[in-house]
Amino acid sequence: MKRRKGTSDSLLTKAGGELDDRFKLAAPVRILFNKVFPDHWSFLLGEIALFSFILLLLSGTFLALFFEPSMVEVTYNGAYVPLQGIEMSRAYESSLDLSFEVRGGLFMRQMHHWATLLFMASILIHMLRIFFTGAFRAPRETNWMIGIILFWVGFFEGFFGYSLPDDGLSGTGLRIMEGMTASVPFIGPWASAALFRGQFPGTDVISMIYIIHVFIFPLILLALITVHIGLVFAQKHTQWPGPGRTEHNVIGFRMFPNYVMKQVGFMLFIWGVIAAMAGLFQINPIWLFGPYEVSVVSSASQPDFYVMYLDGLIRLFPAWEFRIPPYFTLPAVFWPAIAGMGLSVLLPLVYPALERRFTKDRAHHNLLQRPRDNPGRTSLGVMVVVFWVVGAVSGGNDVFAEKFDISLNAMTWAGRIGIVVLPIIAYYVTYRICLGLQQHDREVLAHGLETGILMRDPNGRFYEVHQPLAEPDEHGHTQIEYNGWVVPKKMNRVGALPPTDRGFFKSIEEPSDNGGAARDEIESGKH
Amino acid sequence: MAASAKRRRGWRKRLGALARFTGALVIVGGLYSVFSPSLYAQEAEDNAIDSEVVKGQELYDTSCISCHGDDGEGIEGRGPSLIGVGSAAVEFQVNTGRMPMAAQGAQAPDNYPQFTEEEAAWIGAYIEYLGGGASVPDDLAALVEHADVGEGGDLYRVNCSSCHGYAGGGGALSSGAEAPALEGVSDEEIYQAMLTGPQNMPVFADNELTPEQKADIIAYVQYVVNDDKDPGGVFTLGRYGPSTEGLAIFLVGMTALLLTTLWIAGKS
Amino acid sequence: MSAHNDSARDEVAPVDLDDPKLTRFEVYKEGLRRDDIEIIHYEPRFPRPGTKAEKRMERIVSGLFLLSGLFATLFVAAFIWWPWEYEGAATWRDPQTWYTPVIGATLGFSLLFFALGVLTWAKKLLPIEELVQDRHDGGSSKDDRRIAESTVDTLVEDMGLRRRPFLVKSALLAAAPLGLAAVAPLGALLKDPGDMYTVTGWNAERYNDGEPIRLMMKDGALVRPDMVSAGGQITVYPAIDHGATNQFPTAPTLLIHLREADAETLRGNLYPMYQDVDAIWGNFVAYSKICTHVGCPASLYEQQSQRLLCPCHQSQFNVVDNAAPVFGPATRHLPMLPITVDDEGYFVATSDFLVPPGPAFWNRPSLPEEDEK
Repeated sequence: MKRRKGTSDSLLTKAGGELDDRFKLAAPVRILFNKVFPDHWSFLLGEIALFSFILLLLSGTFLALFFEPSMVEVTYNGAYVPLQGIEMSRAYESSLDLSFEVRGGLFMRQMHHWATLLFMASILIHMLRIFFTGAFRAPRETNWMIGIILFWVGFFEGFFGYSLPDDGLSGTGLRIMEGMTASVPFIGPWASAALFRGQFPGTDVISMIYIIHVFIFPLILLALITVHIGLVFAQKHTQWPGPGRTEHNVIGFRMFPNYVMKQVGFMLFIWGVIAAMAGLFQINPIWLFGPYEVSVVSSASQPDFYVMYLDGLIRLFPAWEFRIPPYFTLPAVFWPAIAGMGLSVLLPLVYPALERRFTKDRAHHNLLQRPRDNPGRTSLGVMVVVFWVVGAVSGGNDVFAEKFDISLNAMTWAGRIGIVVLPIIAYYVTYRICLGLQQHDREVLAHGLETGILMRDPNGRFYEVHQPLAEPDEHGHTQIEYNGWVVPKKMNRVGALPPTDRGFFKSIEEPSDNGGAARDEIESGKH
Repeated sequence: MAASAKRRRGWRKRLGALARFTGALVIVGGLYSVFSPSLYAQEAEDNAIDSEVVKGQELYDTSCISCHGDDGEGIEGRGPSLIGVGSAAVEFQVNTGRMPMAAQGAQAPDNYPQFTEEEAAWIGAYIEYLGGGASVPDDLAALVEHADVGEGGDLYRVNCSSCHGYAGGGGALSSGAEAPALEGVSDEEIYQAMLTGPQNMPVFADNELTPEQKADIIAYVQYVVNDDKDPGGVFTLGRYGPSTEGLAIFLVGMTALLLTTLWIAGKS
Repeated sequence: MSAHNDSARDEVAPVDLDDPKLTRFEVYKEGLRRDDIEIIHYEPRFPRPGTKAEKRMERIVSGLFLLSGLFATLFVAAFIWWPWEYEGAATWRDPQTWYTPVIGATLGFSLLFFALGVLTWAKKLLPIEELVQDRHDGGSSKDDRRIAESTVDTLVEDMGLRRRPFLVKSALLAAAPLGLAAVAPLGALLKDPGDMYTVTGWNAERYNDGEPIRLMMKDGALVRPDMVSAGGQITVYPAIDHGATNQFPTAPTLLIHLREADAETLRGNLYPMYQDVDAIWGNFVAYSKICTHVGCPASLYEQQSQRLLCPCHQSQFNVVDNAAPVFGPATRHLPMLPITVDDEGYFVATSDFLVPPGPAFWNRPSLPEEDEK
């Protein structure tokens, strides 16, 4: 036993020595291994996007082995009976072939598509976390902007991927994109002619977006993701305020082994979820859509969910077309599609600068803010979320109308009114909720926790006994300043009562080996 | 045909119909007297036709007359004239439970049928007796059996998918109307619907889509919507397209992973 | 455990690494010190090694790994041996229907179990630790900045950027066209849109030597009036080479046979420009199928309410009023294709669309006759 250990140790030392001789690794590797990361569930959301992206690269490479980006007309003669004898492009044929005649090809395609949806969904959720906690503030504005650009590159990367199979739904999407492009003042028709090498749909667009989809955009994404993570690394992660946590330190655990093991585990978990979804849930059954033909369309033609809010805006926008006689027209679609998309890119990009300007807060912030502590920003964020949700629901309003038996026209009108009114209501309601939560925090700090114990004083009045968080003064008040920490709201959070319930899915009845003393929640209450 | 019939006066219409019916009876009777082995059988057949129309009229007068009027002439603002719509239209509407209609609305929804198929056929016979019209060919099953599914798909995408969707899931129309889903519909119903254009559906008469082409479409719909369990998973998410896929990624994928983050890392 | 101030760490003295009595952990802690890290809390998860609870946790984790391996093996086996080829009209009883679910579930479970193993290891077996590291937020030190400034100044001085203004200007002057030259190859993509938005496949001069173009169905059959019954509609294409393909994306047209009363209403509503060319024939009217909003086929014909609905953005057009938009984001009517019937009884288009069909574009001319209602 001892001997073997000795040998392996010396082997490792020897290998390490050889490597260090050449690459001078000892110090950098130690620094890397020792780096401290804060621990919080909301810090793992960006990782979902990162690991989906890695899976996208892997599954995309598999698909690229079989897909042919060609719009040459062929007659389908493959395994799927209802399409046999149908004229189609080689791109569509090869997409069908890789779904039906390549072992595991359909599974890979579904995995690629589900991973895309997860990639975009997790970017959105991650972005909301960053926004609501103020993590975009100095010194991290650059990384926020990179994140926004990542979202939009991912947006178009996803849209182009959706367009590649050249099925009926792809072509409908491209058709709409062409209509949007042509509406741009001055350059519109020329831009459209450049993209489609003449009139839509032409015979070149698939090979053009193919090279963008498999080479240019993945490269941009890869480069930006590297910088994004590099900056998180170099600037060190933000942390929640709490005991001992200051603007000048990071409290957490080491990169190795704790952080990396959790990351590897989470990566495999994400992949497992995507693989299971790809196996169990059918996505984008292109064989039902048929080849793209300009005269063919389906009810419920929708883009993927991350494009849907834009499609919803296009549906809701009134029929306002401006004509500048005799030569120019500004179509209705310009406003929601081009101006709307432009604002959706621009506003988030400049938001950190705007907030800096209006709050005149130029300090560095490494401690996060609880959303309630900045009601203005939080309400603004909720407002945008509600706007987005109304837009996205309106993007599928025909499906809603049909499945819930609502008039389509009523859905559209509800969306038109809702997208203006609901965000304003959301802003007001959120603001009030934030203020209410703030007030409750201060109440607890001043008077103590609600114990749930009712007492009756000699005059017959009932009152609730409060457990002060510190030694109270003669009026029964405690003078604790609110400092951005989570304020305990339950007795078991301050260790006065044992936790009523432990365990994640199932209650753990017996106390764990190391006793209750080391638990975070009890610690946090003591400070 | 239908438009000109509508303008004709009631008595002339009835007279014409009666003349046609008498003529038909004479021809049928004549044919039977030539071909039938016995006189007794011929009488029975005559009675059968006659009694179907009579039974149909009885049902009509109790259940349909309040909207469609005496002898299927229609009542302005309540129900259209049924002269000339033919038995196919009647059987489609009645067998899918769309008629009799419970209440006036944007469109008659499909429902549990209130008559048996036999009774529907009687009403159909009565309506056909009033003004002729289209009917389903007897050899539909054979036509569908020899149909070209690929050709049917092509025709389906040009003519049908815009309302009923690529996967036959149905779709919304303007102001509360909708194109119904095609799941579980019978060959006859599809044929009748194409032939007669019920409600907002355009008519695809035999000169637009030949019976063979209709059979192709039926074969395609039955293959894709009802018969084929195409590959790609246990759940098809209702085949409503990207909207349900978007819901699924949040409700299944994102939810599972958010719970996992809560398990992996600290909460505050 | 108590609040930590930043100076606490400075009190930890560096150790002498040459001291032979140093334990491994003390050397390790010296590394932490050099990285400005201090241990707040560090204890093994199981204070007494080898307890029942620890053994149990080890068994759980290794069980998870073994399960993962089992599912991975199942995945590989299913991937290779499970029947997978689609053979048409499959039911739940056919094994190939289950191919994707089976390989998805096995691969998914294999990954999930391995993930759970690693995560449980990290959460339940690694020591409980809490460390604090200095953040070193903010810019570089004063000295570093000053040195960097001087370095840059020296470089600028060496190159003589200030002393040789003409050199700099000429370099910039050359760089501008050089930059243009770099993007110029993209110009190869440019193509004059020309009249691609205004001329369709119905243009007889260009596509049919001036002969009026007949209407055909997708399979090439020419269209006669008796082929569409009242209340019916068909999609028609110009009867020219490849007329029904994507080569003529603005040509698809919806030929509708209106019922008498509806046709009467339409005749009453007809725009002057369509009256002038006698655009409808009998009760037949032909509208462009390409939506004037962004170009989906607006082909949901409702023969009762006489509307055409576009499934992409729900624009609705009134069939009996020149297909003028009545709801949704579309702003212009669906152009009418002027039709008549030729000597042989086939439908022909008497001319191209009078106004450009399909979505608007920036340089779409405003035609005064469009606004006449």
